[in-house]
Amino acid sequence: MSDDRADTTLDAGVSRQRPAYTESQVIMSTVKAVVPFVMTYGMFMMFHGGGSPGGAFQGGALIASVFLMIAFAFGIDSTREWLSNAIVVGLGGFGVLIFGGLSLGTIALGGNFLEYTVYEPVFGSILGLDEVGFVKYGMEAVEIGGIAFIVAGILMGLFFLLAAGFNPEGVHDGNVVADDAVATDGAGEPAVEEVRSDD
Amino acid sequence: MNGLDIAVAQSVGITPLEVSLFAFILITAVLTALFRDVLASIVIFAAYSLGLAVLYTFYRAPDVGLTEAAIGAGITTILLLLTIAKTTRPATDELFEPINWPAVGVCALFALVVGSTLVVFPGVGDPNSPVMTNPDVTVHYIEQSYAETGAENAVTSVLAAYRGFDTFGEAVVVFAAGVSSLIVLGREVFTA
Repeated sequence: MSDDRADTTLDAGVSRQRPAYTESQVIMSTVKAVVPFVMTYGMFMMFHGGGSPGGAFQGGALIASVFLMIAFAFGIDSTREWLSNAIVVGLGGFGVLIFGGLSLGTIALGGNFLEYTVYEPVFGSILGLDEVGFVKYGMEAVEIGGIAFIVAGILMGLFFLLAAGFNPEGVHDGNVVADDAVATDGAGEPAVEEVRSDD
Repeated sequence: MNGLDIAVAQSVGITPLEVSLFAFILITAVLTALFRDVLASIVIFAAYSLGLAVLYTFYRAPDVGLTEAAIGAGITTILLLLTIAKTTRPATDELFEPINWPAVGVCALFALVVGSTLVVFPGVGDPNSPVMTNPDVTVHYIEQSYAETGAENAVTSVLAAYRGFDTFGEAVVVFAAGVSSLIVLGREVFTA
């Protein structure tokens, strides 16, 4: 947030098409109040997909939308710096690994793709589950560890990626030059024009 | 899309609530195409998705409704808004796009072709329709899915167990979308 303030004061003399980020007490307070509930609902949907409507896909999207709301309220740039790339990539990558590992593991044990019951003779005594238990918790693992991780991570990533826009190294298009003239942090990235719902 | 809406509308015993839902969906769909301002188009498209989500919930498909609300009305709208924020919006005084009559003709023809199948559709929720009475598919999953998978929600058991291979493909497609966006936009990291 402090970076955005600094940008605004630096740019005060330069006329820009839109301000990069407008700090709104209303939006920030609303997001602060809403975010815990959305996060909880997303978690509930993710963990409770086997027993009620919803599931990992919807839960993952809700969890990603928490970070999107934070970005809208506190500035996409500062949120992008706060949110580590390792989290986004880790969620997506580990999601595919967990889903792929679980499903290919059944083939390695001589079963069909995602035939959870073949885990029972191997891990049944360790985990204390019967065959239906393996199907039940295998599905939960695929839903939570696989789908929800992938969806939450990649949707977050797509949002911040689109916000950053196309920027091959060393190539700047015309409207970036004015921003570079006043940029002092030397990050080499053009200032991002953010979405404003009211214009 | 419009043809499908009409198809469903005519095959059910219609209540006033359904009529207003269908009218809302049809009007927002047409307005999405007609509005000249891209921002207005995106906002009305979100309203269209929300109408669809309510309709899915109304027809007892809450899983689909939730997905439509979260992905269609929520995430897609935000991504589209971000996209137009990165481009220029042409200034214009006109509210609506001029109507392309040949395109209207093609759409009407398509709606007519799809609509011609209406007469053989069973009513929504008809207990004697083939999809409800098929012992190998519907009845099997409704009766067996809890005993076989331990999940109360049969939709989840189909997604994660019976048709898990499809779901694996869907999940990996999402992952691939993230990777290809990185490549197209020429970046190495999602966030800083």
